[in-house]
Amino acid sequence: MIAKKWLLAGTVASLLLSCAAPAPVHAEAVPYESYNYNYWEEAVPAPAAYIPDRTLTGKDLGVGDFLDPADMVVADSGLIYIVDTGNARIICLDSSWRVDKVITGFDNAGKEETFKNPSGLYVNDEGNLFVADTDNGRIVVLSPDGELLRMIEQPESDILPADFKFIPVKVTVDQAERVYVIAKGIFEGIMQFDENGVFIGYVGTNKVKRDYTEYIWRMFSTKAQKAQMALFVPTEFSNIDVDDKGFLYATNIDPGSKEPVKRLNPSGEDVLKRFGYFDVLGDIRYRMSVGPSKFTDIKVLPDGRYSALDANQGKVFTYNDEGDLLYVYGGKGNQTGTFKIPAAIEYAAGSQLVLDRGKGNIVVFKPTRFGSIVNEAVGYHYNGEDAQAVPVWKEVLKLNANYDIAYIGIGKSLLMEKNNKEAMKYFKLGLDRDGYSVAFKRYRREVMQEHFGTFLTSVMLLAAVWIAYRIFGFWRRKRQSRASRQAPHNLKEGNAHEAGFH
Amino acid sequence: MRQDFIKFPLHLIVHPFDSFWDMKYEGKGKLRVTLTILLLVVISMILKDQFAGFLVNYNDPRHLNSIVQLFTVVFPFFLWCLSNWAITTLMDGEGKFKEIMMATGYALVPIVIIYTPMVVASRFMAEEETAFYYLMMSVASIWFIGLLFVGIMTVHQYTVLKTVVTMLLTVVVMGIVVFLGTLVLSMLQQITEFFINIYRELIFRT
Repeated sequence: MIAKKWLLAGTVASLLLSCAAPAPVHAEAVPYESYNYNYWEEAVPAPAAYIPDRTLTGKDLGVGDFLDPADMVVADSGLIYIVDTGNARIICLDSSWRVDKVITGFDNAGKEETFKNPSGLYVNDEGNLFVADTDNGRIVVLSPDGELLRMIEQPESDILPADFKFIPVKVTVDQAERVYVIAKGIFEGIMQFDENGVFIGYVGTNKVKRDYTEYIWRMFSTKAQKAQMALFVPTEFSNIDVDDKGFLYATNIDPGSKEPVKRLNPSGEDVLKRFGYFDVLGDIRYRMSVGPSKFTDIKVLPDGRYSALDANQGKVFTYNDEGDLLYVYGGKGNQTGTFKIPAAIEYAAGSQLVLDRGKGNIVVFKPTRFGSIVNEAVGYHYNGEDAQAVPVWKEVLKLNANYDIAYIGIGKSLLMEKNNKEAMKYFKLGLDRDGYSVAFKRYRREVMQEHFGTFLTSVMLLAAVWIAYRIFGFWRRKRQSRASRQAPHNLKEGNAHEAGFH
Repeated sequence: MRQDFIKFPLHLIVHPFDSFWDMKYEGKGKLRVTLTILLLVVISMILKDQFAGFLVNYNDPRHLNSIVQLFTVVFPFFLWCLSNWAITTLMDGEGKFKEIMMATGYALVPIVIIYTPMVVASRFMAEEETAFYYLMMSVASIWFIGLLFVGIMTVHQYTVLKTVVTMLLTVVVMGIVVFLGTLVLSMLQQITEFFINIYRELIFRT
């Protein structure tokens, strides 16, 4: 009886314990692969940096379904603007996703006007809206309350052809109130307008790449064949963003380009840093059917990071200011966190928002622990606080021991602290040959300075021993030769003596 | 021993014309020295890939394989000797197969004596100094080709032009040999497969 009681108690206890034991910790499942490229350009699995948090459709917001939304902007005030292209309206949400207002048109000197296929938007520091009203061929500037401030219409300039038609697609404004516009059918670059809407010129023309096979082929073609061939024209830009220093980040969709992302300085030169193991071009390994990455949007993040949205594969590539690929997330599909036709990427309070044109929704991605500490460490490094970055990088390495940038980051910090030997170790782990060389040179000098005295003493000692040995050898040989010179003489004498004796 | 393994090879690399002459007509040079040199070349190649300094060593350590390296040296060596023998037989070369092997083997000496010290030195080099490493590596290769040229010329008693032509033809023959080899191997494989299939058929029929 007692045994039975004990048995029962034991069973109950074990049941309770098994319930009380923590559920096995699942890595939060994401519907896409997370990876990063190593030095040998292999895609190595990595922890997910961002996971989908929630999805919002127009219906969820209570404004009816989106129809082909093309752009999204988060203002400094935290307001989120969505350009609902198909419905020709702009939806303004507050930071907690409540609808603030819906702009469908504006009052132009007493005349009620509407948008026609608007596809781009920018909000400046004062909260003024710059809407690329595509099919009306104008940029509409509205105040935060939706009043018309001014319009930028068909520019007039000598460098523009007579039959030129202004079809703005994307728009961005820098601190100096200059307006940058990507327009359809313009291959010369990004159109630049001054604060009064006067056309200034183009910036950042994409270079024409000369394809030599095409060139040779052309030599053997007839005039009629040549006319049918594609022209060598530069590609169009797909999107622009501006960072807090007034530099433009632009993406283009040239399929073979090594520089699909550009950072243009005010005079239009590309100054993007590309110090990573490989070029800033999204996926460096892909199947031909999927093709190279085709960037449709770019967003500058805090601390010099920037995210580029790849429409071909529905992935978001985030780089730091030096051109190292930090993490990749997203993919094509129907699950939450994957996209059909991703159109725009934005950043709001630590989360990243991706607008999906195909599904007509917005996906909110929140950083995982891995993602947030990578961001933190990159931030420290960007702001020159390398020493503070070290513990964070070490934390990153605990979550992903294959994260080369962390090794290099620690190496750089150790180099700053003049701990050259340790720095060499970390640079070697991160396969950073330039950093290693600097650390090694300093370490070598240190060792030399430390041991130069000993080294010189031993060299002098060896030299002295060698000289002594040579002198001794010389002296011995001399004595021997003298002895041998005497010896035959004696021998001869002896022989003669002997001979004579007989 | 010392004469064969150290003095003569070292004399040869700086006085190739005399030494290759001596090798052919005075009976200097030994086949076992050639094979030792070949082994040393393999070892120095392995040392280079394994232990050269980080700044000059771009090998993926996961893919280093000493056996593969052994064959990448030994196989081309014999292929070269065989092809050269084949082509020079048709082109009135005076060299015997043994002499061709010895000439080629002795020509490899600079690679041994330059690679190994440079591997050690490369571990103490910063990035700017690695140019010196690459320079020495090129010197070793050029020296080797020069010696090989003189060796082949002396062994077969050729003119300069004829030597150059022969060497180029040898490379072509090497390609043909490799092609024929793979062809024969794949045919052999298919033949064995054919017989194995017949055997299987017979077994399962009964």
